[in-house]
Amino acid sequence: MSVIELDDVVKRYESGAQTVTALKGVDFHADRGEMVTIIGPSGSGKSTMLNMIGLLDTPTSGSVRLDDHDVTDFTEDELTEERRTNLGFVFQDFHLLPMLSAVENVELPSVWDTSVDRRDRAIDLLKRVGLGDRLDHTPDELSGGQQQRVAIARSLINEPDILLADEPTGNLDQDTGRTILEEVTRLKEEENIAVVAVTHDEQMLDYTDRTVRIVDGVIQS
Amino acid sequence: MSVADALWRFPSAMMAWRNLGRNRMRTALAALGIVIGVVAISSLGMAGVALQQQATSNLGSLTNQVSVSAGQDSDYDGVTEEQVEEIRSIITDAEVIPQKTNSTTVSSRGQEAYVSVTGVTDAAALYDVSRGTAPERLQTGALISNSTAQQLGLELGDPVEYDGHLYRIRGFIDSGSGFGPGGGRGELVVPISGLADQDHYDSVTIIADSGDAATETADTLEEHFNTDGRDEEEVLRVSSYASVQENIGSFLNTLQLALLGIGGISLVVASVAILNVMLMSTVERRGEIGVLRAVGIRRGEVLRMILTEATFLGTLGGLVGATCSLAVGAVMFQVVAGDPAGVLQWASARYLLYGFAFAVFASVLSGLYPAWKAANDSPVEALRG
Ligand SMILES: Nc1ncnc2c1ncn2[C@@H]1O[C@H](COP(=O)(O)OP(=O)(O)OP(=O)(O)O)[C@@H](O)[C@H]1O
Ligand SMILES: [Mg+2]
Repeated sequence: MSVIELDDVVKRYESGAQTVTALKGVDFHADRGEMVTIIGPSGSGKSTMLNMIGLLDTPTSGSVRLDDHDVTDFTEDELTEERRTNLGFVFQDFHLLPMLSAVENVELPSVWDTSVDRRDRAIDLLKRVGLGDRLDHTPDELSGGQQQRVAIARSLINEPDILLADEPTGNLDQDTGRTILEEVTRLKEEENIAVVAVTHDEQMLDYTDRTVRIVDGVIQS
Repeated sequence: MSVADALWRFPSAMMAWRNLGRNRMRTALAALGIVIGVVAISSLGMAGVALQQQATSNLGSLTNQVSVSAGQDSDYDGVTEEQVEEIRSIITDAEVIPQKTNSTTVSSRGQEAYVSVTGVTDAAALYDVSRGTAPERLQTGALISNSTAQQLGLELGDPVEYDGHLYRIRGFIDSGSGFGPGGGRGELVVPISGLADQDHYDSVTIIADSGDAATETADTLEEHFNTDGRDEEEVLRVSSYASVQENIGSFLNTLQLALLGIGGISLVVASVAILNVMLMSTVERRGEIGVLRAVGIRRGEVLRMILTEATFLGTLGGLVGATCSLAVGAVMFQVVAGDPAGVLQWASARYLLYGFAFAVFASVLSGLYPAWKAANDSPVEALRG
């Protein structure tokens, strides 16, 4: 059973007189333990599609199913709740908070949940991405690759079902990108999660289980 | 567990604290705006209190007194014996002290001083003496003001001459108060018999129990002497210091409101500065806030975080401002009232509290819009930058 599904999703942006249809009836699904890579030319709708999968944006028409529940009509607050409990995000430029240490950045998505103490899991995750000796370093004391590893650890803190990554290696050199991809692949298997990544990076195709190509808002099969 | 770890249990406070620490210069400048606002509002408020207390203490017991003299419609050039009796008959709950006044030059050891002369019997009720006594029935001696005595080198028991009679000095009048009969000029007080060649009394002082009683007495006298049928006339001029104090009081109240208004304006300016700083910093952190929202931080939590930042700014500025105001207030009380500790009494110290409360309130208020805006920004838009 798919953990996330898009069904005939259309996304239109209306700005003044102009209407841009970024997604023109997209079907998509991803399963646990699977890494799916979305590729396509610039402006084809990759990020828009990832935002739908990540429950950051809602479709103009069509439906989104998370764990076989229809979340299309969820309110912003309900979507926020789903994002916190079921989704992890990794961004191209890491987006760590500069005033927090590595371990605090990892804990961040969980700190407002005072019912759980995530400190141990945060430390464990940082150790698993090879940063056990960098717990108290702030982002400006870490290299790009290390920052992205902190970001990956952060995305996993709430034990999500899906990890979403928009060009996770886009700001890294070849070798660093490769180690990051190895990290993600290993964690995907350990945590049995679905990974959905958008990329221009050819080497990512070596790690992916399945590739989805989108051109001009339409999936090419 | 470190302090930071403990703080982490209050994530909004922790995040707010760290965010303020990121740009210390900007935080300090924003807080400085608040400090200035608080100092303005507190110290102007306290200035009003200091002035009011100064004025009240200068008027002192005079506010209980009513002074009566001949009015413009009187047939006599003073208050007659009959009128004094009449006053005594209607005013039973206050002392009625008729006086005759003149002026003269007193000389001693080649020095001369120009003084006003008052003839009165009940000197004790009218005068405070610093040395010697002020008798209730002044029949032989005299009282003289401190300053004149010093000027002429007079001692207790020394004689002074007025109108051909010699009087021994029995007491020195405290010349501390600035207002009152005689003003700043030196004063000589002799028995009323010393001014026997004056037929009428120049003035009658009535001492009531309180300022309110004095006002009432004045009204009673006005009605009795100055209302003839429906016509208003002025047989006796009745004046009470209570109304003077009321006038001064209401003037000072107006002044204080104006001062507080000026202080308030500066706090409004400070709030606008905070609004600006908060807006700038949330716009700058738009991407970050988008990340927070993406990873599942609720809108309310983002709102709380930014409001907490504003509250910290206000509290910080308010505390520093109140401390500065305390110092300013102490200096002000030292200058106006001669006692820096006066600032600690509730009447003036409460302005420190008002200033502080206003600072926190204004900061939270100006944090509301930036916080609301940041919390409701779409995460997708925020992440796109
Ligand atoms: N908020 C928006 N308002 C208007 N048009 C938008 C908006 N977001 C995206 N678009 C348009 O939708 C289309 C798809 O954009 P999207 O960002 O998904 O492309 P992409 O495949 O991620 O491109 P890239 O590889 O350059 O990141 C583009 O034509 C873009 O201009
Ligand atoms: Mg994109």
